[in-house]
Amino acid sequence: MTVAKLIDTTLCIGCKACEVACQEWNDQEYTLGTFGGTYQTMPDLAHNFWNLIKFNEMERDGGTSWLMSKYQCMHCAEAGCLAACPAPGAIVARPNGTIDFVQDNCIGCGYCITGCPFDVPRLSPTTKKVYKCSLCSDRTAVGLEPACIKTCPTNCLTFGERDELVRIAEARSTELKADGFADAGVYNPQGVGGTNVLYVLKHASEPEQYGLPKDPQIPLSVSLWKGPMKWLGTLMFWGTILGTFVHFVIYGPQDPAKHGHPEKEDEPSERA
Amino acid sequence: MSEPEEIRIPRFDAYERVMHWMAALSFGYATLTGLAIWSPKLYWMGTMLGGGFHIRGTHPWSGVVFAVMIGVMFRRWAAGMGLDADDRVWLTRLHKYATHDHGALPPSGRFNAGQKMLFWSQVATTLALFATGVVLWFPESMPRPLRLASIALHPLAAIGSITSILVHIYMGTAAVPQSMRAMLRGYVVPEWARFHHPKWYRAWRASHRS
Ligand code: HEM
Ligand code: SF4
Ligand code: SF4
Repeated sequence: MTVAKLIDTTLCIGCKACEVACQEWNDQEYTLGTFGGTYQTMPDLAHNFWNLIKFNEMERDGGTSWLMSKYQCMHCAEAGCLAACPAPGAIVARPNGTIDFVQDNCIGCGYCITGCPFDVPRLSPTTKKVYKCSLCSDRTAVGLEPACIKTCPTNCLTFGERDELVRIAEARSTELKADGFADAGVYNPQGVGGTNVLYVLKHASEPEQYGLPKDPQIPLSVSLWKGPMKWLGTLMFWGTILGTFVHFVIYGPQDPAKHGHPEKEDEPSERA
Repeated sequence: MSEPEEIRIPRFDAYERVMHWMAALSFGYATLTGLAIWSPKLYWMGTMLGGGFHIRGTHPWSGVVFAVMIGVMFRRWAAGMGLDADDRVWLTRLHKYATHDHGALPPSGRFNAGQKMLFWSQVATTLALFATGVVLWFPESMPRPLRLASIALHPLAAIGSITSILVHIYMGTAAVPQSMRAMLRGYVVPEWARFHHPKWYRAWRASHRS
């Protein structure tokens, strides 16, 4: 069974209780927020701050409105971080769809940061390993829901079986459409095979307004590097090793005595 | 068993030999650690060299040492690495060289055209490896488009570089007897010099007789 988290952005009141719950459950050290002239706790995610409520300001029809969004790992079905990671066991795709970082196996190369189309993983300057939302895999493993979901006071966040949540999300966007939000819809980008974090958006055709990429995909250079280039390299290395060996077996070493050079005839012996 | 008759022609001085072997050592280390990160199937090489976390730290430094040694090599050898008219003909007859038909080849100088091509290809791939390697080294301070390009170009340059070095190793060990002694002990015998590098040999003999 694949699990998912549904974020109904229309119900978020910006209380940031989920941020606190995340920090508490994951036992993060306290870091002072950065004041950027908005209500946001921080401008960006950090290695010790995995869940950020964004207060996106949208200018529309002469007024400003807040489009709330929750920024964290999307637990992609086709995860760019996992495709890029060179260390066996450092990024694990759990059977329930969770993408989990295992810091014990992480070598700190930061390839996942480049592979992730949502710009989520963050390198710790002290441990030199990467961190991100684990979908509380240590809670879900024993049947609990993630800390952010447990704490949300408005039912903006729901946790459960993915198919069921997709149905709920579709129903909710139909409801919103009926309420006059013609552009309402579900964010479940197919470029990465769908995500296990789903959003209901009022302005579904403009996910950028929420800080979400319009058509996220595993970057082309990552696919090339992990695909055809692996074959090219393997072919070149083995081809060269085999080729030189076969060459030696056929032709043997270069031998001045046998493979005469014209120089040899017209040069007098050096000892003469 | 002394061979008082043996004449030794100096080929590589101590400076050149040290520079070559430092480049070779750092290259070997960068290759093993790099390939360990390149493919999970080769990750065991990294485990043998101290583990993934360790080699992630050391690989870039071995690369820097290698790049510096290529720089030293460039200062020492670049001037003599230009292709002359004979070299150009030589390159069109590469198959003659590979099949030991040396009679069909124009005479080479201190380095033959193949060696010169190796030199320039190493200069090019090292520049590429260095530029892209620095980007991969500090992912958090590099713009994303640069990182995306480097993550594919660094291993691509490495594939080119490693492949040509594999050929180089074959030439230096099995294919051309006594060339290893030139790089280890520094000298060759006249017969070897006259056969492999006739123009260089003639220059030596001219100065040697005077
Ligand atoms: C010139 C200076 C160099 C620098 C600064 C450099 C830096 C890096 C960095 C930062 C990485 C990412 C993983 C890690 O940190 O270990 C990497 C990966 C790699 N390096 Fe280098 N490197 C250099 C030279 C070389 C050389 C000479 C070779 C061998 C020919 C090489 C082969 C590789 C390979 C095969 C990878 C793995 C790429 C992949 O993941 O597909 N590098 N290098
Ligand atoms: S959002 Fe980024 S870090 Fe999370 S699973 Fe997708 S690719 Fe990986
Ligand atoms: S930083 Fe860690 S998790 Fe990310 S790609 Fe490298 S080894 Fe994998």
